Amino acid sequence: MEHSFARRIDSLDDIFEFLTQAGDSMGVPTAVWFSVNLVVEELFTNMVKHDRQGSQDISLCINRDGDRVKLSLTDFDVDDFDITRMPEVDTSAPLEERRPGGLGLHLVRRMTDTLSYHYENRQRTVTASLKLHE
Amino acid sequence: MNKDVFAIRSEGQGVVRLSGRLDASQADKAKAFLASFSEPLVLDLSDLDYISSAGLSVLLVTLKRLESLGHTLRLRHVRERILNVLRYAGFDQILTIE
Repeated sequence: MEHSFARRIDSLDDIFEFLTQAGDSMGVPTAVWFSVNLVVEELFTNMVKHDRQGSQDISLCINRDGDRVKLSLTDFDVDDFDITRMPEVDTSAPLEERRPGGLGLHLVRRMTDTLSYHYENRQRTVTASLKLHE
Repeated sequence: MNKDVFAIRSEGQGVVRLSGRLDASQADKAKAFLASFSEPLVLDLSDLDYISSAGLSVLLVTLKRLESLGHTLRLRHVRERILNVLRYAGFDQILTIE
């Protein structure tokens, strides 16, 4: 299933609606869908925030492949920015050293089975897969 | 899940209840609401269905602000899925979860 969404944070309601329909049609357990929602939100908001020069909609594609859910988000006409090479946040740091930011990608890394990045013809595509059984 | 509109309200005596989905589109609303409190605070999350990193940032900013004032921030009635997100982010080490 594939759909495009306007590159603004307010698109999240439409994205969650789309994901709910996709989850129902693919027979994905609710517990796993919580993680799918979170991963898609983090990747989508990352594109909205970091690719400010982009003006086109962001494409979301999601499918079930056996015991995995595979999803990809593509941002068009934007610069190269590989999120898989971003440094890890220290989740054991004391409160005074904690800063907002970087947590989204950390959660994505924790919740996904695979995470990859591809850049070609000014298109950024992030692909992830999640196991259906936690 | 998409029908779970986010809501935040005070229940008095330093207790604030959050419900629905705390995602990036609702984080500013939550942050602004919590910024009005300058007292020890308990967040009741029994009806919170979803939280993303944007929601975690709201908790972090609120915790830092209250601690700088000498106050505490505690979470209670946290659902398992929310608790997992808090643990993944290491927030169980900096927040009191009842």
